[in-house]
Amino acid sequence: MEKKFFQTSIKDSLFTGLIALALFGPIVGLRTVAKNEVLEVHPKWFIVLIIVVVCAVGRFLTNLYVYNRDQKTGIQSSIGKSISNFLDTKGYQIALTAIIFSVIFPFLPFTDRYLMDIAIMMLTYIMLGWGLNIVIGLAGLLDLGYVAFYAVGAYSYALFAIHFGWSFWICLPIAGIFAAMFGVLLGFPVLRLRGDYLAIVTLAFGEMIRILLLNWYQLTKGPDGLTGIPRPSFFGLPFKSFPDEGEQTFHTFFGIEYNPMQRIIFLYYLILVLALITNLFTIKIRRLPIGRAWEALREDEIACKSLGVNPRNTKLTAFAIGAMFGGFAGSFFATRQAFISPESFTFIESAIIVAIVVLGGMGSQTGVVLATVFLIGLIEVFRDFESYRMIAFGGAMVLIMIFRPRGILATRKPTITLEKSSSK
Amino acid sequence: MSQKLLDVENLTMKFGGLVAIDNLSFSADKDKITSIIGPNGAGKTTVFNCLTGFYKATAGSMFLNKKNERLNLRKFSDFKVAQKAGVARTFQNIRLFPQMSVLENLMVAQHNKLMDASGFTILGLFNSPSFVKKEKEAVEISKYWLDIIGLTHRADDDAGDLPYGDQRKLEIVRAMCINPHLLCLDEPAAGLNAKESAELNKLLLFIKNEKKTGILLIEHDMSVVMEISDHVVVLNYGKKIFQGSAKETKNSPEVIEAYLGTEE
Repeated sequence: MEKKFFQTSIKDSLFTGLIALALFGPIVGLRTVAKNEVLEVHPKWFIVLIIVVVCAVGRFLTNLYVYNRDQKTGIQSSIGKSISNFLDTKGYQIALTAIIFSVIFPFLPFTDRYLMDIAIMMLTYIMLGWGLNIVIGLAGLLDLGYVAFYAVGAYSYALFAIHFGWSFWICLPIAGIFAAMFGVLLGFPVLRLRGDYLAIVTLAFGEMIRILLLNWYQLTKGPDGLTGIPRPSFFGLPFKSFPDEGEQTFHTFFGIEYNPMQRIIFLYYLILVLALITNLFTIKIRRLPIGRAWEALREDEIACKSLGVNPRNTKLTAFAIGAMFGGFAGSFFATRQAFISPESFTFIESAIIVAIVVLGGMGSQTGVVLATVFLIGLIEVFRDFESYRMIAFGGAMVLIMIFRPRGILATRKPTITLEKSSSK
Repeated sequence: MSQKLLDVENLTMKFGGLVAIDNLSFSADKDKITSIIGPNGAGKTTVFNCLTGFYKATAGSMFLNKKNERLNLRKFSDFKVAQKAGVARTFQNIRLFPQMSVLENLMVAQHNKLMDASGFTILGLFNSPSFVKKEKEAVEISKYWLDIIGLTHRADDDAGDLPYGDQRKLEIVRAMCINPHLLCLDEPAAGLNAKESAELNKLLLFIKNEKKTGILLIEHDMSVVMEISDHVVVLNYGKKIFQGSAKETKNSPEVIEAYLGTEE
């Protein structure tokens, strides 16, 4: 029995190696290089060999340890289960640790400029994920054009800041309101759509906004993008190395040495606060009637109507509030980059945000954080491998779907419980 | 004679060339149970869908008489029938919110009241005392109904995890949580065993007697119909073929013919 099983495993892994060879041979092995206006083939058989061996050995090992359910040493039965258990029961502790860690993060000894940039990017994605979680996770509306609101927020912030010279704290709410208006604009025509149809229309909406930004040259400078977006100031104190005559800057006001990291740290805390506001708002609103109506609408729209819940208003508020947070994140993006162009708002951004929400476990706030750290972190770790890093991204998705098919954190807590409210 | 709660007059519903309901008139009393019975495809559920605004009736009128008002239900579209007129319904295939807790299901039913109390969410965000008080009241109402159907101990479990019979009962009390004048039940006894359907009878009689809510009932289970109906309307091919008390219906030749066919 044992021996026969061993043999079939070897056979199976050899077959897997063959498939890998057929797939990766042409894709990875045959590389064309343009040389002296001629296209030459530079084969890379060594890399192909490595991939094939990894596939075959990996298959052999999974055969032995994962799919062999007779043996209790299987990964799924021990490590997988304990991880699952940990995630299911310790959601609150994970969240608390994450918050404390992110607060002290800029002052940890190993933190450098590169890590700070990644952390800021991750926090931006987390904020976007939390915003989209309202639309997808709570209201159950699959929105594939979320990046449109991110773009609207970024552009409205940039335009107001450049043309009127208003400060970040005035432009931020304006950008949010603009994005929310676009959310309602998208919401109206798709009120009657559900599922795949809704996904397609929202996808088109996202592309429409991007193409509009690309072609409305007078306003948006089209593909050239908007430059010279004002940097945020610390409550009126700008971050500058050489202040103008008589100007108070951050470092002169506090009497410290100028350091370019000061602005980065400020930006980091800014996005941290914005993201936490998004999180607190979502946690709170989930427990209010409107939040409960969103979830009810996700569960059964017809039953909602029979109970007198207005589906139109409920959906529109979900779109508007989700879009508003997208807009806030957009203004932060604009002020951090100081330059925006339509290139930053392509469909892939929407896809990543949707992936974060779905893989995190729809409706789970902590799940969004874990999925972001996992997905964006992997992309960054594999940055040296250039475009191959997307393989890591795909692999991460597959892994999550194998071990946690309903998302990393899929347990839902009721918004109101009898024990709690009667003991109050 | 006291005014009827619901007057349906010459209701007609056509789908293209198909006449689903043909010139139907009937009425339902406050604190009475009116059953609508008929063979499959007789148009019973269509009547409900017209009443509760899911379909727009082709012709006719449906009046709901409240204390001082006479509302034409035809003027309301879907959710407004429940919100403004106070007509609640349940569905043939249970439509709970399966991944929400039992208590949450009942809280969603009180959405409009709570939404006003939360000042369209703004007051609620800051935990205003008036909202907290209203929410507590809503929980009390939910608890009251859960006590009646004996599900208080499962209040925080997912509604989808309840046994079938309990889901049926939960759907009925969820409809009662919107505080309706008229409760429309679409085959509430379908799939219930004898014990469960006896409990259902008790619940419906309680709603009728204690809550003074008019009940409109579609049912195939004759034991339920005969035991608790005060008034029976029999439909066949969208037409009313008989109406009367439960006893009269049982002995009516037209009804027997519609169900069993004629002897040759």
